[in-house]
Amino acid sequence: MCLIVFLGCFNVSAFAVGVIVHLSVDEVTLTTAQLRRIYTMRQTQWLNGQRITVFILPRQHILHTRFSKENLQMFPYQLDRIWNKLTYSGLGVAPIVINTPKDLIEAVKNTPGAIGYSENIMDDNMDEKGVNFVKIQH
Amino acid sequence: MKKELILSKFNTKVVIISMKKPMKKAMDFFLFRLIAATFSLPAYHVCAAEQDFQFHGFAAQGLIDVNGSNFVNDDGSLSPKLTEFGINGSYQLNDKLRLAGQVVYLNGGNRYAEGVRVDYALLDWSVYDHQNWQANIYLGRFKNNHWLYSSSRDIPFARPSIILPQSVYFDGFRDIAVGGDGVAIKISHNNDTYGDFDFNFSYGTSSISDKQTGIILSELAQGSLKQDKDIQASFYWQPNFSSWRFGVSYLDSEFTYQASDNDGLFFDGQFLTEFYTMNALYEAEYWEFSGEIYQESLAVKGFYQPSFSRRIIGQGAYLQSRYKVSEELTLLARYEHFYINRDDKNGKLLEEETHVSAYFAYHNDTTLGLSYDLLSNLQLRFEYHWFKGAARLTPIMYPDPDPTVNDNKYWQLWAMQLMYWF
Repeated sequence: MCLIVFLGCFNVSAFAVGVIVHLSVDEVTLTTAQLRRIYTMRQTQWLNGQRITVFILPRQHILHTRFSKENLQMFPYQLDRIWNKLTYSGLGVAPIVINTPKDLIEAVKNTPGAIGYSENIMDDNMDEKGVNFVKIQH
Repeated sequence: MKKELILSKFNTKVVIISMKKPMKKAMDFFLFRLIAATFSLPAYHVCAAEQDFQFHGFAAQGLIDVNGSNFVNDDGSLSPKLTEFGINGSYQLNDKLRLAGQVVYLNGGNRYAEGVRVDYALLDWSVYDHQNWQANIYLGRFKNNHWLYSSSRDIPFARPSIILPQSVYFDGFRDIAVGGDGVAIKISHNNDTYGDFDFNFSYGTSSISDKQTGIILSELAQGSLKQDKDIQASFYWQPNFSSWRFGVSYLDSEFTYQASDNDGLFFDGQFLTEFYTMNALYEAEYWEFSGEIYQESLAVKGFYQPSFSRRIIGQGAYLQSRYKVSEELTLLARYEHFYINRDDKNGKLLEEETHVSAYFAYHNDTTLGLSYDLLSNLQLRFEYHWFKGAARLTPIMYPDPDPTVNDNKYWQLWAMQLMYWF
């Protein structure tokens, strides 16, 4: 029983969540603060002026929860508050919700200026998937 | 054929309720594009390769039971008048311009006028966009973005409770306080050392229906109430990577009442209000605290008598706590304290000078509630309120003289609401 719990923990925590962008995006590194600005919709353009399209998984997806806490250092409900305010008061737009991690990678691949996240497990194969992996500096 | 019918219905309703002629054509065109796009691209927001068009909405229905006041209905029976529907769209015209609009249907019984409203319909102009600075100008009908929950007060799942603290988010004043027709500006600055700063400014007015005039002033008021001016500004600061967020806001608004020939009771009058708030929000993994403290200055000239002139200052505050028991369950506790006149906190002066009972001078509310996420976009809420005082029962400027109406200093309310959004 203990072994199962241990293996379960290992399985979840072994791979950090990676940030992926469309091949048209110049940035190869981002700071946590920059990433947070992008996901709270406070930065809507890349440095070259290209509009950023932000993709996320559903709010209760485990990968979304981990991305929020580990990469953005925010709780999912804080992001919900910000996105709901933008969406339902006309102030701005919220990220686009994609149902599965696989579809999220596809959406980033097919959308110039897009950003999303994925499990780091496929680091070496990201080029084959047609997206760039961005390093996050804390 | 069906689409045409729906579009026609939407357009007709929207125009009748909300717009003066100069804005009507532009709004018609905008809403036509918005709704046409909604029906022709139903799944675009989920799978689209670009973010040009998004649409969202919500639906909520509940039950509400009030004992001891006419807050929702006059007979005190269990009421289903807790209905909220909304649909909105956002269309990115180009890198600088975006159109956005939302139509809502609300039914809250006596709390506000029942019906369809254009919640907002605006052109968002991104004047400046840099990684550390953003400036946007919103033209058209914008939403009040100045108080802690003012922009989400109509969004069932985005506000903290079914019934918000009435001293700030007074339902009787909802249609005026929720936004305005004019211009709003938002300037945001992100600083890696000091945190995030937001400055908001708005100038605009709201049209006031006869029904609303009755809700605010008195059903006996036969004349017309007009908002002449509404200027608001607010400033928010969130320190870098902090769980805290702080804000201040200021409002300056003027109203004119023009008595009609049938007015047997009231005279021409002017109402001048100023409203200051300070707020704080703390968000941790399990605990969330928020609160607002505020002061309202209300000057009345005329209305009751041609020579009447008085200025009173009301004050209040609420403190709210939410605790996340699990991913699905959140508990709520809140206390609100408010009085209309700081020189007459217990209402003794009010009772001596008028026919109105002393408890119409204040409003206290203790609230306990819970929300449960059945799905990621389906939530059930329940809450119970214990009230003391009647200062937030309509009409406020001339409380109903019938001694059998709102004859309780203490009254209670419970409500439950099921809400869905997409």
